[in-house]
Amino acid sequence: MGSILFKNVDKVFGNPAAGVKALDNINLEIADREFVAIVGPSGCGKTTCLRMVAGFEAATAGIISVSGKTVTEPGPDRAVVFQQFALFPWKTVRENIDLGLRNKNLPQAERDGLIADVLKLMNLESHANAFPHQLSGGMQQRVAIARAYVLDPDVLLMDEPFGALDAQTRVVMQEELVRLARVNPRTVLFITHAVEEAVYLADRVAVMTRRPGRIKEILDIRSIRQSENWDKHQKIEDVMDLESFVHLRTQIWKSLREEKGSQGV
Amino acid sequence: MNSAPLTFRETIAWGILGVVVFLGIWTLLSAFGIVPRQFLPTPLDVATRFVTLLTSPFAGATLPQHLASSFQRYAYGVLLAAIIGVPLGLLMGWFRLLDDIVTPIFDGLRFIAPIAWVPFAALWFGTGIGGPIMIIFAGAFPPCLINAYRGARFVEPRLIEAARMLGTSNTRTIMEILLPAAVPSIVAGLRVSAGLGWQSLVGAELIVAAAGVGFMMVQAQGNVQTATVMTGMVAIGIVGMLIDILLRQGESWLRRRRGLEA
Amino acid sequence: MIGRRGWIGLGTVMALLALWFLLTTLTGLVTGARFPSPAEFWLSLTQISGRGYAGGQLFSHALHSLKLVIMGFTVAIATGVPLGLWMGWNRKVEAAINPVFLVIRPIPPLAWIPLAILWLGLGDAAKIMVIWFSAFVPSVINTFAGVRNIDRPMIEAASMLGTPRWRMVTEVIAPAASPLIFTGLRLSLQASWTTLVAAELVGALVGVGFVLNMAQQDIYPGMILVGMVTVGILGWATTLVLSAAERRALAWNIAARD
Repeated sequence: MGSILFKNVDKVFGNPAAGVKALDNINLEIADREFVAIVGPSGCGKTTCLRMVAGFEAATAGIISVSGKTVTEPGPDRAVVFQQFALFPWKTVRENIDLGLRNKNLPQAERDGLIADVLKLMNLESHANAFPHQLSGGMQQRVAIARAYVLDPDVLLMDEPFGALDAQTRVVMQEELVRLARVNPRTVLFITHAVEEAVYLADRVAVMTRRPGRIKEILDIRSIRQSENWDKHQKIEDVMDLESFVHLRTQIWKSLREEKGSQGV
Repeated sequence: MNSAPLTFRETIAWGILGVVVFLGIWTLLSAFGIVPRQFLPTPLDVATRFVTLLTSPFAGATLPQHLASSFQRYAYGVLLAAIIGVPLGLLMGWFRLLDDIVTPIFDGLRFIAPIAWVPFAALWFGTGIGGPIMIIFAGAFPPCLINAYRGARFVEPRLIEAARMLGTSNTRTIMEILLPAAVPSIVAGLRVSAGLGWQSLVGAELIVAAAGVGFMMVQAQGNVQTATVMTGMVAIGIVGMLIDILLRQGESWLRRRRGLEA
Repeated sequence: MIGRRGWIGLGTVMALLALWFLLTTLTGLVTGARFPSPAEFWLSLTQISGRGYAGGQLFSHALHSLKLVIMGFTVAIATGVPLGLWMGWNRKVEAAINPVFLVIRPIPPLAWIPLAILWLGLGDAAKIMVIWFSAFVPSVINTFAGVRNIDRPMIEAASMLGTPRWRMVTEVIAPAASPLIFTGLRLSLQASWTTLVAAELVGALVGVGFVLNMAQQDIYPGMILVGMVTVGILGWATTLVLSAAERRALAWNIAARD
């Protein structure tokens, strides 16, 4: 398991002296097994935050570390779930999941066991030998989550993972992710622009300003979820009807709307 | 990809390195006699030969004269391909029956390399100007036809429906809707045709012609004048490149005018 | 089932054959010195299949040409595809090779023929060299374009899974680029046949192009037609094999596009 730390992180695209400043002095600490969602107006740099943790992009200033180790390049200790799934279309479901395990040089028997477990966990058993294009969007994203989960990463990075799904599938996936997160808690950094999704899933929600992105406020959801006992409700719509949920949602909406207002939209 | 895009300066530096290594190896191979200089002249030898041939004749003409006679055949061949290929393609795109009749013939001939027409071309039109023109035609014709066909066949059906709704006649629909709508595709086809025609020209001149750059190269090959052969290659390359640049410019000008690209 | 298209196609072919017979045999409007009649074509075919022509039977000429194309094509893709992958993967390699390519690319493949003959004579080596040069360029360019067109997340997904360099090339880059690689291979194959026929027409001792060359010199239209038909059939058959390979290799892609 692991933790994520952003310390005084700046990101400038292009020439450091004259480029576009995307992120300004980001400070955020995500504890072990904590689920943190970042919401913000589009173009605020929330995805860039995730990509820097993943090692796809370097910070212009400041430090990003995972479990105390400074991030320098991508690696299987920080598994990413992409919005567009990014499955390998020429590999079957099983082969997609297997690639990361093979890269760890695990013996065949151990890999088979791990794959069987994760297929069961994600309800994918009957599709193990299907190719991605034979699956629906929701199923494809399950495979992508399975591919990340099976590596037992320190942290899980999810970049608008349900953004490409239709509304109904999205709800099912959200409920499933909550189930996973409660049964098998992980350190998760979750990027989204959907406020309900963030409040429903996360322990804490960080709200970002428009560009250059700063963290405007961080709301504690977990304490309210526990005191109001959200988890006794099975369905997402029941949770969304609770007064405590509505209150939090409205608070974030207002915060975001101020951002849009200041943009003159 | 693997690394971030290079800066302009880095691109130039690596580019110069590539060219220097290429020319360096070439020069080393010939200057130090690793390959006999008669068979692999140095880059400088070729450049010198190129300049000489600009004014002094080889195989009956100077290089510009050879180029002129090549270009004349080439222009006739490509023009002929465009004049026949484009209208036929448009009509095939419009009349299903014509499409169904011509396509199997075309599919049958498609796999015969254009250059294989050389013997018949020589037999029917001689080795002077007619034969080579037919071979260039054989190379340049297919893209003209195919692109005009595609342009007309896959024209936005709503445009046709709109014209029909306005009571436009068949002929007028072809001239005023189909043709303009197919123009970008036709022009792209002409560019490909021009390139293939230039290739076929070289082939034709190597085999049957009695003048032109290809003929000059064959003569030089017979006399083991490698520098002259290479001069011919360079000249052919330069002209081919110029044709391509010119047509690309024309194509992008047209696309800009149509608002197809920024 | 033969559809409307098929029937019309069949009708067209029959009509053309009838026209051929009509013009050459029944009316004699086209004389044998210009284009052979069906009977003359048949006679030429039996001659070259049996007694032989231009130093061999049709089968051995065709086999020899086919062998050269396969060899030249194989050498070209074995060098061109890896170079394209490398250029696509490494921007420095691209920057270094691009200018050299820019100079060599406009030279039509056929223009290498005199040089190849000068260097290697009229034998097989010269043919393989020109086929290599002509088929090399399309496979490099298309492979390169294929690598450059790979969706970024695909590469990022593989790198976050800790995929080592070599496995990245064989299991991610190459398959992701394979649709365009195959486009390149098809163009390469076409270029191979064109170049070989031209090279054999310019100078050879055996092969389909040599049959064409001899028939031209003997003013033997029947044999010219036999040669052309052979060239067409060989080109068609090799394209068919390549298409089958493509369908097999890209089954995931073809289904995904539907």
